[in-house]
Amino acid sequence: MKRLDAIMLKVFLWGLPVLAGWALFNHIFDTGLAASPMRAVYNASGFAYALWMLLSVYLGVRLILSATFRDRVLARLTFIRERDEREALLTGRATKTTLMTSLAILIFLFCLSCFQVSFFKLPPGEALDGKTRGFSLGLKFSLLKDFEANRTDTALRRYDVYSYDGLPVSSSAIILLLIVWQVVSYNCTMRRLTRQG
Amino acid sequence: MGRSCEPLRIVNRLNVLRAEHRITQEKLAKEVGVTRATIVAIEKGDYNPSLGLAFRISRYFRRDINDIFFVEEEEK
Repeated sequence: MKRLDAIMLKVFLWGLPVLAGWALFNHIFDTGLAASPMRAVYNASGFAYALWMLLSVYLGVRLILSATFRDRVLARLTFIRERDEREALLTGRATKTTLMTSLAILIFLFCLSCFQVSFFKLPPGEALDGKTRGFSLGLKFSLLKDFEANRTDTALRRYDVYSYDGLPVSSSAIILLLIVWQVVSYNCTMRRLTRQG
Repeated sequence: MGRSCEPLRIVNRLNVLRAEHRITQEKLAKEVGVTRATIVAIEKGDYNPSLGLAFRISRYFRRDINDIFFVEEEEK
C-alpha cells in the first residue's frame, strides 16, 4: 500500500505541471486544434486528464483516512520534514497559522460574495423624488445557485454606472487560490519558525 | 489565577555539561536523536524538551534529570 501510494503521489505531483502546461497551451492555441492533425494528441490528453482527476480523488480519500500518508504528502508538498519533536511542535504552530489565515481569507471571500453595490442612473420618467441618480447597497445569500438565477427581476429599469455583484472570479479560481495559499503559508511559516530557533 | 498556574521557566545546564564532556552540539544531537537546531534551542532556553528527550539527555550524561533541568527559582 505504501509503495502504491508513493507511486501515485509521484504521478499526481509530476502530472500537475504537465497538465497545467497543456491546459495553457490549449488555451492559447484553442481555435482549430481539435480539427488539426493533433486531434489524437488532444484526445489522449483529455483521457490523461480524466485519469489524473481519478487519481486525485483516490489521493483525497487517502489524505482523509491515513495519518502517515498525510505526513508524507506534507513533506512532499512543502519540502519540509519533521526530523524531531521540536520540528513537530513547529509543524503544529505553522498549521495553526495556516488554518487561521485560511479562515480569515474564507470569511473575507464570503463577505465579498454576499456584498452588492450599485451606482445607477434612472430614466427621467422614473425619477425617485426628482432624483435620477442612485446608489444601492445590499447583501445576498442563497444556498442554491439556481434559486438566484430563476428569480424574476422586479427592480426599476436603470442604467448601472458601476455595479458590483459578488466575486468576479470563478469558484475554481478561488479553490485554486486557497490550495496555493495553504501550501505557501505553511511553507513560509515553517521556515520562519525554524529560523527563529 | 494562583501562583501555581504561572508558567514555569525551566533552565538547564546543558552547555556546561557539554563543555565538561567536550562534545559538540552536533554529536549530542546525534546521540539523543534530534537535530542540532533543537540542542541550540534547548541551550538558549527557547525550547523545553519533552520528558522523553530530557531523560535521554540525562541518561547520556549519566546524571539525574534534576541536575540538568530545573525551575529557575530553584536555581536562586
